[in-house]
Amino acid sequence: MPKVNTSGDELDVNLTDDEIERIKDELNRDPSITEWGMFDVMLSEHCSYKSSRPKLKLFEDAEKNYDYVLAGPGQDAGVIDIGDNYALAFRIESHNHPSAIEPYHGAATGIGGIIRDILCMGVRPIALLDPLRFGTLTDNPHSQWLFKYVVKGIADYGNCTGIPTIGGEVEFDKSFESNCLVNVACIGLGTIEDFKHAPSRAYNPRDYIILMGGSTGRDGIHGVTFASRTLTDMSEADRPAVQIGDPFTKKMIIEATLEAIKTGHVRGLKDLGGGGLSCALSELTGDGGTGASVDMGKIFIREPGMNSFEVMLSESQERMAFIVKPEGLEDVLNVFRKFEMAHAVIGRTDDTQVLKVYDGDNLVVNLPATALSDAPTIPRKEKRPDFLDDLLAQKTPEPSKKLDEIIYDLIASENICSKEWVYRQYDHEVGVRSVLKCGDGDSGILRIIGTNKFISSSVGTNSKHCFLDPYNGSKGGMIEICGNVIANGARPKAMVNCCNFGNPEAPESFWYFAESVKGMADFCREMKIPIVGGNVSFYNEDEVTKTAIKPTPVIMIVGIIEGEENIITLPFKDVGSDVLLIGETKPELGGSEYHSVIYDMEGGTPPNVNEKEIKLIWDFIFELYENNLVKSNHDVNKGGIIITIAEMCFKNKIGVKLDLNTFKEGGLKDDELIFSESVGRFVMETSKSDYDKIMDLGGKYKISVKKIGTTIMEPEIQINGLKTSNFTLNLKQMKHLYDSTIPNLMDK
Amino acid sequence: MNIKIAVIEFPASNCDRDALHVLNNVVNIKADLVWHNHFKEKDYDGVILPGGFSFGDYLRAGIIAAHSPAMDEARIMLEDGRPVLGICNGFQILTEAQFLPGALLRNESLKFVCKWVNLKIENNKTAFTNKLNKADIIDIPIAHGEGRYFTDKLKELVDNDQIVFRYTNEKGAITSDSNPNGSMDNIAGVCNLEGNCLGLMPHPERASESILSPNGTTHGKIIFDSMIDFIKKRSA
Repeated sequence: MPKVNTSGDELDVNLTDDEIERIKDELNRDPSITEWGMFDVMLSEHCSYKSSRPKLKLFEDAEKNYDYVLAGPGQDAGVIDIGDNYALAFRIESHNHPSAIEPYHGAATGIGGIIRDILCMGVRPIALLDPLRFGTLTDNPHSQWLFKYVVKGIADYGNCTGIPTIGGEVEFDKSFESNCLVNVACIGLGTIEDFKHAPSRAYNPRDYIILMGGSTGRDGIHGVTFASRTLTDMSEADRPAVQIGDPFTKKMIIEATLEAIKTGHVRGLKDLGGGGLSCALSELTGDGGTGASVDMGKIFIREPGMNSFEVMLSESQERMAFIVKPEGLEDVLNVFRKFEMAHAVIGRTDDTQVLKVYDGDNLVVNLPATALSDAPTIPRKEKRPDFLDDLLAQKTPEPSKKLDEIIYDLIASENICSKEWVYRQYDHEVGVRSVLKCGDGDSGILRIIGTNKFISSSVGTNSKHCFLDPYNGSKGGMIEICGNVIANGARPKAMVNCCNFGNPEAPESFWYFAESVKGMADFCREMKIPIVGGNVSFYNEDEVTKTAIKPTPVIMIVGIIEGEENIITLPFKDVGSDVLLIGETKPELGGSEYHSVIYDMEGGTPPNVNEKEIKLIWDFIFELYENNLVKSNHDVNKGGIIITIAEMCFKNKIGVKLDLNTFKEGGLKDDELIFSESVGRFVMETSKSDYDKIMDLGGKYKISVKKIGTTIMEPEIQINGLKTSNFTLNLKQMKHLYDSTIPNLMDK
Repeated sequence: MNIKIAVIEFPASNCDRDALHVLNNVVNIKADLVWHNHFKEKDYDGVILPGGFSFGDYLRAGIIAAHSPAMDEARIMLEDGRPVLGICNGFQILTEAQFLPGALLRNESLKFVCKWVNLKIENNKTAFTNKLNKADIIDIPIAHGEGRYFTDKLKELVDNDQIVFRYTNEKGAITSDSNPNGSMDNIAGVCNLEGNCLGLMPHPERASESILSPNGTTHGKIIFDSMIDFIKKRSA
């Protein structure tokens, strides 16, 4: 790591030689040690997006192209207008590095950070969703330890703050063994006025800057630079860079902030997260076109003797910065006094466009406000990995077991089995908005009290598909996530993403990122769904074993359902209904759970994406909804159609008699038909009497709609019409396997 | 009469607004959200201590809130017979403040648990269960990490009819499988001798609207309706 010298002190910085020279040139002097520290933080990948920004430009301008997008990429959260004067804010972020070495506090402070991002938009946080990834659990105490304490960290923090965790995703794969992925997402709801009150900018000179919440301590110094490096065997020593969360103070900050905004005197609002005060002050003033003068002595610190370097770089949790009109100062301070929240007026904005920090009479920071917020980008090399051709050419072996045995193995596998062990620990009902119980639908659904409008949200991606084909795999992830909200009756409105990749300085890793972004951008443009924000987490790579994670572009979506009667759930409702498969099944077993669980192989041909077909399927489904023709709906995901059908059977103990003769003419082998993970498909329950009407509509849209079975009283899945042999699966046994895998691994 | 209920907001209460919503919009009664330091009993006919994590549950669940000035006010209401209801964290506060006997310990599983359960009505003579029948089975959710009820005076509670709710299975059988947290004798809620103070771990405010309930029931609302009925009869 390069060293810089300043007035006798020597400092290790994570800056390149070019960056060091440029800083000296621009300032025309050597920065102070505190200033060096601030540059180090602000130019880190985590804060500056210096590698990713050129690629992120591929996403279209959501604010410009969609009239209902109120805040797009670059803001603390995306915000959309959902009608009836409501604004919906949402964002997803990673907290991977801290969680990998300190799972409990790493995950908890991840939740803390994402809540602050939503709060910054002036709205109340109303739901959390958490996509998580770990190494496989079986015979792996380290992965079990990470999994247990990440879930506990999320539960303890989220539950205390009174924000329900309504959804998530858990994937286990050996590529995440050293670098677990902890992504956290939050949704906020308020009125359009709430949102417009307090931008994350200081536009006016002479306003007061107030710091409110937790004290500033020595914890978390350099958290972002640590997150902008690969993990090494020395990373355990970085544990002090992990912040400690305090959900009680966070809950008080939420209430005090929302009440302060209601005074009408708060003109700007910014949370202190990565980069601490350095980041908050430079973004407020730099992006607002103002400057500021701050008295470090006013900042309440946790321990005596902290110097300006430590104060400016501390990432202590639970702090918010407020920009307040001069005439409203007392009103805002009275709110903080009511909640007994520590606070201090630490400075004022001005029109100098310079950020100045005084330590007593010493001017310790004196930088142009934009010097820190406008970081130059670094072009990175891209190279398609050589190993891909061999992987893509892999062929599925002849099944070594009978198909029914394989299905039982799959339903019990870590990635397909029930995640009830996780969501039972989350309070998913606080707030009295959660109308769909965990496990009953593909997405989480929240009502908006006082309206007949519902929010549907889901998170996820398919890292195995992305590993083989990041372009189509990323599109496929989006189709799956959109499919989750569509299955529940919602129209997709907007998405945010969280790109988890390896080291951007490695051309292979950067190629994965570039292809993935391109796939997502192309898909969104074609389907007319805006991307309103995102987060990039690079360096998810283990230097000891030299392995990078599978590329994981996690998507979060929000959709809207108008009217309670239009919410669709996944459990089968009646005996004697038709079971339909919508969308074409192709021989796409590459990256499937079938390959992974049964043959321990990663290759093969992954799903391809045809947006035109997807669009027609969605239009068809919405026309069925408008005509009340759908009883239950579930999108086909990991494991293929039999797993999808089994999940629909479980709740009401309704069985299915499947007749797959309709596929006999096609070229699909039995295992391809059953286990393919071709994207964009749905399994539906519909009335027998509506069959002709539905098939006519399917013909009109020219998509594949096939009746594949009938629901029956017997608690079993009877499979007929395969090329090899017919067989019957016992639902009770399947449910037992589905429910017991994780408890057996974690509680025994 | 104009009935008015106070819902106390302790620092980090988090089911306070949920209870307020149900009272104002579902039960259709006037209720105020009152900051704990501002609460004055004389303005109210009844008080609800809501769920959440008052003071972060630091030190021990409910113990810091038990020393809030709001509890001195609530004690006046307790003693003159007005209804005092503690839900979840409110129940923990009521035992810590010794309005109610017993204690709530960490769940046997050592994990937070959020799910719908069945309760059997053991005492329908309290201010909060008078519109229910004895042995009725109701649907209601729980969400807590410290809900394992313990008392060293079990026989006294039974003899005095102070056990109001027990966890049961769907058929009303009191089994260990239906006990979600290891509570002694499957106890989910207890009252004081006079029956005007009730503490329960489950959340009636989450079970008062059919849209939130997996079976479409609104059993939680009956607890609030009973409370209002009690206030009306008391003042008549």
